[in-house]
Amino acid sequence: MDDIIRAISEPSRREILRLVRHDELSAGQIASHFQVTRPAISQHLRVLKDAGLVTERREGTRRLYRARPEGLARVRAELEWMWDAGLAKLKEAAETEQERRQRGPMDDATTSGRR
Amino acid sequence: MEQEDSGTIEREIRVNAEPDTVFEFLTDPEKLVQWMGTTAELEPRPGGKFRLSYDGEHVARGEYMEIDRPRRVVLSWGWEGEGAATQPGASVVTFSLVADGNDTIVRMTHSGLVGDEIASHSAGWDMFLPNLVGAGSGAAPNA
Repeated sequence: MDDIIRAISEPSRREILRLVRHDELSAGQIASHFQVTRPAISQHLRVLKDAGLVTERREGTRRLYRARPEGLARVRAELEWMWDAGLAKLKEAAETEQERRQRGPMDDATTSGRR
Repeated sequence: MEQEDSGTIEREIRVNAEPDTVFEFLTDPEKLVQWMGTTAELEPRPGGKFRLSYDGEHVARGEYMEIDRPRRVVLSWGWEGEGAATQPGASVVTFSLVADGNDTIVRMTHSGLVGDEIASHSAGWDMFLPNLVGAGSGAAPNA
């Protein structure tokens, strides 16, 4: 899940996604919404592109960007993965904790071979 | 991936533990990080903070909305950027815990991912853009 979450964990990149989710915009148009330098915006666009969240299209000397609908499906898949992995660990951790409680704290060091 | 309701993720697991044991894994920071994230700041009361960091890099942030020990925990969920003041998440995570013999059935629902505009791809971004979404703009859970 790393690259996709990293891509959207940065406020400027979230703002960029919002700008291009309905409209295809040039890098210059996008940069005009921000105080930061143009190279910084280009860097953000590269991260979003690498994460599959925007598409890039060249038109003459301009590069145009638009949010990629399939990116959403991937966001969802990453999120499902996060919950599946998490809940499996929750089950394991809670069952371990339950055993510990039933044994009682005093038995912790002397449980081997009992039962 | 089957086409279920694209605005909601639902999972159910059976845990061989009492509901109260499982409940603590949703509200105690030291226990929560045994199954997700690496550090947690939790205020388990309605309106209390829920902040979960993954290696300090990605931070899930929201608020506890309902706490009913040991049956139910509801919290809002979103992602925050580094240092960004983010409003509580636009999506909602619900855990319900039901005793079944010596087990607990844990039902997890993560809803509000695309609001009620299931067909619209763009609406789904709102989950990740909580600080940029105007109040009441489509991502509200309709559960």
